[in-house]
Amino acid sequence: MNKPANLPISTLLIGAVVAVAVVVAAVAVWAIRPHGELGSGLPGTFGYSVEEFTDVPAEWLRWREVSSIPVDLAQPRALAVGAEGTMYVAGDRAVLAFSPDGGVLERIELDAEPRRLAIAGEDHARPGRMYVVFDRHVEVYQPDGTREASWPAFDERAALTGIALGGDDVFLADAGRRVVLRCDLDGNVVGEIGRRDEQRGIFGFVIPSPYFDVALGADGLLRVVNPGRHRIEYYTADGYFEQPLTWGRPGVAIDGFCGCCNPASIALLPDGRTVTSEKGIPRVKVYTEQGDLQSVVAGPADLAPDAAALVETRTDYRLRPPMVAADSGGRVLVLDAALGAVRVFEEME
Amino acid sequence: MSNSRPTGSRLDRRTFLGDVVRGAGVVGLGGGAAALAAARGQRRELVWQIDPHACIACGNCATYCVLDESAVKCVHSYGMCGYCELCTGFFEAEPLALDTGAENQLCPTGAIIREFIEEPYYEYHIDESLCIGCGKCVKGCSAFGNASLYLQVIHDRCENCNECAIAVACPSEAFRRVPADRPYLLKHQDPDA
Ligand code: SF4
Ligand code: SF4
Ligand code: SF4
Repeated sequence: MNKPANLPISTLLIGAVVAVAVVVAAVAVWAIRPHGELGSGLPGTFGYSVEEFTDVPAEWLRWREVSSIPVDLAQPRALAVGAEGTMYVAGDRAVLAFSPDGGVLERIELDAEPRRLAIAGEDHARPGRMYVVFDRHVEVYQPDGTREASWPAFDERAALTGIALGGDDVFLADAGRRVVLRCDLDGNVVGEIGRRDEQRGIFGFVIPSPYFDVALGADGLLRVVNPGRHRIEYYTADGYFEQPLTWGRPGVAIDGFCGCCNPASIALLPDGRTVTSEKGIPRVKVYTEQGDLQSVVAGPADLAPDAAALVETRTDYRLRPPMVAADSGGRVLVLDAALGAVRVFEEME
Repeated sequence: MSNSRPTGSRLDRRTFLGDVVRGAGVVGLGGGAAALAAARGQRRELVWQIDPHACIACGNCATYCVLDESAVKCVHSYGMCGYCELCTGFFEAEPLALDTGAENQLCPTGAIIREFIEEPYYEYHIDESLCIGCGKCVKGCSAFGNASLYLQVIHDRCENCNECAIAVACPSEAFRRVPADRPYLLKHQDPDA
């Protein structure tokens, strides 16, 4: 057996240097982490997890999904419900009508991309009429799908994002000019609602992104979303601001409206409760007439089961906020664009 | 949901500055820096840039750059911004108050300046000297806001390494080579965002 003492000292030194170099190289490779798979190494204070805000306490979940109707549109944008539960979905330059069991009843081709949709009920002067809202104008269709009128385009600053019908009125939420337009049955503007007027106590709508919705209650009062203030404001058809009725608060907690501006869409249940839909953290909730959270129809786990959609900044991961509607039977309809379906929810006993 | 992913448009620095650095009091990204970048641009064919639509604000940009202080900074597209009182890139998710108290701010380095414009609108600027490119504000703005805050390689800082260390570490393959005379990739506004 060779004795170590027989090795020249220089060989031992070289061996030691090589060994140290290998260890240093291994540590360096680990420390550099050339593919970044071990993360940035930043302390926790630099991290931001949105997922922790997506839990919905179980006691609020009081609705169950009873059906899901596939919608053959690449970009479904608008949802409305008509008499006898007929559902209408607009997108891809078309309107599709569905029977309550999901069968396609008709397809109406449009010349431009629709934004919103409303079907006149018995409380409107022209029951059955369909109003299709585009960026700057409105088209009117008869129940059989025949186009009856195309209203002249509004001001080029207009960006129509919501519609409500009642009596002889068509109310249009205009996110571009931050006002609700009151129109007659022929599309003439007969009034403006919510324009900033501090003398009348109206501080104006704050609309950071193009979601600005309106609904008309059975009490004749308009519910107008003031998204940048995270609240629902009440106005008479003549434009008087019923400030004491205002409700809503910002917050990621389940009873608040998250992000910079929400809710994105609202609908009214037959008993007067308000259904709201939020972007950011996708959730559909129901509030009492006094503005207290009453229940959650669907939370992020239902609407964005791929949690990455909530935390990624990539635009192709971003979810379009669900549009909501309510039918005469008190069911909530949710247009789930990610799923490509109208999802129907019933309140549990 | 749209399947198409808009690609950031290439812009020269002048257009970029015009879009993202509007308004008084913006620190950094000044004219001298632009001249330097332009001079460098003439010498190089391609430079590194982040496609903001591919970036997931993972935090690696803050730590993987070969420079002590990353060449990647947050920039702001004022045209996309809602000038929100409750800016979700500026404020913590549940701020105690909508003021500039440090406890309410999301940015760990205090690099975002909040300036009152008129009730209830506020403008937000990035103090480039304080920004380390961690992307925390980008996440907040993208998840809950208009996604007007995003990360870019700032070319008066970047050494234009042959192999960008961040590009190697990027989990989202967000780094691109772009022409040096059009070194920024600007976000387009998503009409539904
Ligand atoms: S949060 Fe990070 S990326 Fe945003 S401004 Fe602050 S340091 Fe820069
Ligand atoms: S090219 Fe070099 S200096 Fe520029 S961002 Fe990448 S690592 Fe940093
Ligand atoms: S490493 Fe890639 S994904 Fe991460 S912040 Fe930088 S560009 Fe974005």
